[in-house]
Amino acid sequence: MAMPTATQIKKRLMANWIHFLSTNSAELSKESLSGATPPAVFVGSYGYPKVRVGPMVPPIHGDTTVFDKPELWIGKDIAEIVNYRKSLVMGVSRTDIHDKSSRYIGSLQELALTRRSVESEALFENKPIPHFDELNLELDTNLAPFGPVAPLKSFRTASYPVDQRLERSYYDKDLSAVDGIVDLYRQGIEVSTISRIVSLGMLGLEKNRKLVPTKWSISATDDVISSHLIKTIETFPRIDSFSVHKFNHFGNYYCILLIPDELWSFEMQEAWYDKHGNVGIGTDFEDANGLDHYPTIAGAYFAGRLSVTEFLFSIRHKAAAMILREIHPEYVIPVGVWQIREGIRGALKEKAKLFDEFQDALSFACSTLSISKKEWLRNSKLYANMKNQSRITDF
Amino acid sequence: MVFVAKTRSPDEWKVILSTISTLVDEATFEATVEGISFRGMDPSHVALIDIQWPNSTFERYECDDSVKFGVRIDELSKLIKRASKKDSIEVSMLEDGLLTIKTQNDYLREYKIRLIESSASSTPLPKLNFSSKVVLSASEFDKVLSDVQVVSEYISIETEAKLVEFRGKGDSGEATISLNSESVGLEEIEVKEKSRATYSLDYLTRITKAVSSSGGTIAAEYSSKMPLRLECRIANIGRIHFYLAPRVQD
Repeated sequence: MAMPTATQIKKRLMANWIHFLSTNSAELSKESLSGATPPAVFVGSYGYPKVRVGPMVPPIHGDTTVFDKPELWIGKDIAEIVNYRKSLVMGVSRTDIHDKSSRYIGSLQELALTRRSVESEALFENKPIPHFDELNLELDTNLAPFGPVAPLKSFRTASYPVDQRLERSYYDKDLSAVDGIVDLYRQGIEVSTISRIVSLGMLGLEKNRKLVPTKWSISATDDVISSHLIKTIETFPRIDSFSVHKFNHFGNYYCILLIPDELWSFEMQEAWYDKHGNVGIGTDFEDANGLDHYPTIAGAYFAGRLSVTEFLFSIRHKAAAMILREIHPEYVIPVGVWQIREGIRGALKEKAKLFDEFQDALSFACSTLSISKKEWLRNSKLYANMKNQSRITDF
Repeated sequence: MVFVAKTRSPDEWKVILSTISTLVDEATFEATVEGISFRGMDPSHVALIDIQWPNSTFERYECDDSVKFGVRIDELSKLIKRASKKDSIEVSMLEDGLLTIKTQNDYLREYKIRLIESSASSTPLPKLNFSSKVVLSASEFDKVLSDVQVVSEYISIETEAKLVEFRGKGDSGEATISLNSESVGLEEIEVKEKSRATYSLDYLTRITKAVSSSGGTIAAEYSSKMPLRLECRIANIGRIHFYLAPRVQD
């Protein structure tokens, strides 16, 4: 079967959207909405530090947990994921990020303590306005998309069970946010749940707690967990050979090269095609000294670093790592940074191909990519460093 | 166990700490009967610092055993910086897990800081023979590095007979700084054989800035395509050795 083209995918997404709007026209033309929130809560960044904050509710009852749990999305069709997301109606209210003691924020924080969907009802100031284009102010490659938005008047939920682990961290106001994040991760809480807790200012020392825009909370969570894992991995033996893992989904092509090395270093390169077919490449790199700049590829970097460190931790080995990501035109709508995290996790679940030489490993990686090996190498600081800088321990 | 080390001013600790902070955030010192020493590499193993701070350079020094103490550099620096120019600094270990710092001149300050877990691994020194040696005043060396840094991230050092050339090359152009035995600032040059090697300027400028504030000289020794060793002799400290691994490309 031929791969659907970008235009075909776009058409299908648009048809789904129109179908959704017409099926739910009755629900969406009212100033109230009842449905099960996954739970999902959004904290905007526009207007910071006075940001839009609010719950997301689909016009759907029953179990909607999957709508805001990206860990369950791998292997699904992009249309299905966009359906989940675009059906989430967001009720927003402008709030100062320090204003965490209000009843409104308190109720959203309570909601974030549950990991299953909850029946809820939102009352809006006016009818939710549907949108499906780039004009959406908050459309961001780091965020999962969402549906109609309206100013919120009130929000109520049915009662629900809270997760004990989340609750303990929430009430521990002497534990730093970093330790709180690492603790929850160690206890097996999904990264998406942890970042929701982070964005609602529910971790850390009492005096430091504040709301964090959703997209920043995602990067911060990936950053904190992977930084913690890097320290642990350093104590493991190094891998024996060069390895390449591959995975493709939603028009994103991933190759992960693991390089035997005593010291940690990490690079992620992204190549994309613009409307005219021109290629852009973004590259960010860190050596064992750590990252010395905010990555140009933003949240993708931390998502990639989390997936790689998680894998190395699971095999109890250390390595240097290079991620190559190609974004093809079939990736018609950015579905959020989770797609990168899960794509690279997916790649690392696939069986690796092993090599004795770096060049052979890279050639194999590039064999299924459209950008040439030469081009990737030209942009690679990890490669330049490996080739050009010796170490004291070599002498 | 007794460990007390007293210096006449805060300057000695300031130089030591700012030197170490160019490579790491945390440091493990070792105090023995002979004095205080430190050795450590930066996380990417490109540079190494080896400090010998002999007992004779202290105003008072007592240590009857060998003891390691780990500190966070910025935490200790903050305390040392509270001292006035003429304050004496006394560092001692009176309680387990705590380092006591007393500064005294006009009035007495006493700080206690919590020690951190000290790293147990010992770093071996690279085995090197040097074929060239140039000695410059620290401020002159700092100037030369800045001259090259205008165009390049790396510096090539080339020595032949009585001439040393520092070169850099970048996207915008090239730089060549030449010094011979007549040049001001070049105090000594000794070339056993023509040598050339390239090093990262980033590391070099940071370490040079850290030691040049206290004056003194820097002796740079190296061989072709081998690590560079800077020896900094500073009043009341003894010596600091800084090793830097070369760039491989030419």
